Amino acid sequence: MLKHLFKLIWNKRKQNFLFLSEILVSFLVIFAVFSFLTYYYQNYTKPLGFEYERVWAINYDNGQFPKNKDSLQTLYSTLSNSLKAMPQIEEVCYASGNFPYASSTMSTAVKQNGKKFDRVNFYTVSEDYKKVWNVTMLAGRWFEPEDAVSKDKSIVINETLKTAIFGEGSAVGKLIGDFEDKHKMKVIGVVQDIKTAGDYWPAGNAMFNRLDTGYLKDTRNILIKVSPDADATFESQLYKFMTSTFKNSTIEIEHLSEMRDSKNKVTIIPMVIFMIIAGFLIINVALGLFGVLWYNINKRKGEIGLRRAIGASGNSVSYQLVLEALILATLSLVVGCFFAVQFPLLSVFDVPSSVYLIAMVLAVIFIYLLVFACALYPGKQAASIHPAVALHEE
Amino acid sequence: MIHLQNIEKVYRTDTVETLAINGINLNIAKGEFLSIMGPSGCGKSTLLNIMGLLDEPSKGKISIDEQDLSRFSDQQLAKFRNQKLGFIFQSYHLINDLRVLDNVELPLLYRTSSTKERKMLASAALEKVGLSNRLKHFPTQLSGGQRQRVAIARAIVGNPQIILADEPTGNLDSAMGNEIMEILINLNRNEGTTIVMVTHDENMANKTHRLVRLFDGSQVQ
Repeated sequence: MLKHLFKLIWNKRKQNFLFLSEILVSFLVIFAVFSFLTYYYQNYTKPLGFEYERVWAINYDNGQFPKNKDSLQTLYSTLSNSLKAMPQIEEVCYASGNFPYASSTMSTAVKQNGKKFDRVNFYTVSEDYKKVWNVTMLAGRWFEPEDAVSKDKSIVINETLKTAIFGEGSAVGKLIGDFEDKHKMKVIGVVQDIKTAGDYWPAGNAMFNRLDTGYLKDTRNILIKVSPDADATFESQLYKFMTSTFKNSTIEIEHLSEMRDSKNKVTIIPMVIFMIIAGFLIINVALGLFGVLWYNINKRKGEIGLRRAIGASGNSVSYQLVLEALILATLSLVVGCFFAVQFPLLSVFDVPSSVYLIAMVLAVIFIYLLVFACALYPGKQAASIHPAVALHEE
Repeated sequence: MIHLQNIEKVYRTDTVETLAINGINLNIAKGEFLSIMGPSGCGKSTLLNIMGLLDEPSKGKISIDEQDLSRFSDQQLAKFRNQKLGFIFQSYHLINDLRVLDNVELPLLYRTSSTKERKMLASAALEKVGLSNRLKHFPTQLSGGQRQRVAIARAIVGNPQIILADEPTGNLDSAMGNEIMEILINLNRNEGTTIVMVTHDENMANKTHRLVRLFDGSQVQ
């Protein structure tokens, strides 16, 4: 029967072109939706790698600060101590503008044995950064004061970069080159990946650089971890303290939990819009499929009557029509999968292959379910056609 | 072979009841070639559909090959039609998207048979009707007479005991009609197939063993 149906469909390929095209387009749209969803889901299920609750970011304009490095060092040290002295503040650190959930990014490349590793997020942070975020060390150690005088610049890398460069081997104590491979940097520790761009994005390659006095003039961010009782009143006091410390500066205090929410919304909202548009498309396609199948059944009443006359039961007519729709879907899906499989093969958008493969499987299942659902009722209707009436109408 | 007892068929709508067949009693013996005649709308095709188990009588009993079919399920009736009955229609009812050989194979698809066996039986049936040189053609590439011969091949491919033909020569000119009639007569004579044929053509009816005339749903001869 299957071979017979293939033959019938092949001989009617021109009439089936619309149906085949509809399924193909739907598959590609659904594949895109599932690729996004799978990608976001896979990232979402990975650990965050840090604690953002009760962390506040203080941003300031430091244009009028002393130019002298020592004076600046003293100022920052005093400021840090003053902040730590406040009972509501547990930890304090300085960081470059690309701290978690901030909108700025900084990236570089590193080289190891002539091989270049691109798009490495580059974070410049003070020693207490780890305490503020409660970052987990996987190997080695975090920055210590003596790193300031080490021969090779000390860096801490994240797990993703470590795996990319060293695979399963140890990274601690190894030297890697900067983007031009002119200066060597010593890996002193490996931290768990931290998802700085939101819950739905991967950590990517990351490298932490110890904030030294040379960078202080460019520092504009203080990150503090506050105690649970830090409230709006304290925030107001803190604001006053900062404005009195950094006179004529613009001070901005942001809560990382709020920054996280808005960062996630930037991902979720377009995705929801995309899903709504895809949903409407699928509804249209479903109605289209239903209409085409319904029309086919009315057009094929004579054939249905004949099949009933020569030995098909009502159920087998229904089964045949559903099977025909599923075979047609299969033909479209073969073409669709040919296009879809190019994504993992060509590593499009640098997304893991597993994302595309899972999305492909889900899209195939979805299309089969859609076609099955759309074919079921017309199939049942075909089964209920009275053979004598169908033959007479023809 | 076929026993019809007091068969009645009423078509009902919300407002109208139409009596299509009224109290038909008919016994058709095995190997008989029977024709049914009557004016348009007298119930000939309805009676043939009831004999072919394509329609249910409103009243009465039908048995074929000594089997009471009134309690058969849809599945059982389908199987019975497939194995015991062959149909020939005035408008051929060929599937235009299938080649001649595939059209003839159709009844065998609803049986357990291999592709090779199906092809062999279909080719043999087409040879019987003189169309072994048209296996790969589509129905639209054939003349009316050839199409009807394909339909006959399809009716006989499963070696049924009974063939029900609804105006098989109705769409054909007299020469083609005679050719088709010859095939049916040979089938009846050589294979012993019981044939029930509805026709408007007195000449064709006269070539059969027995003629039954209907008028307004009742048997008048």
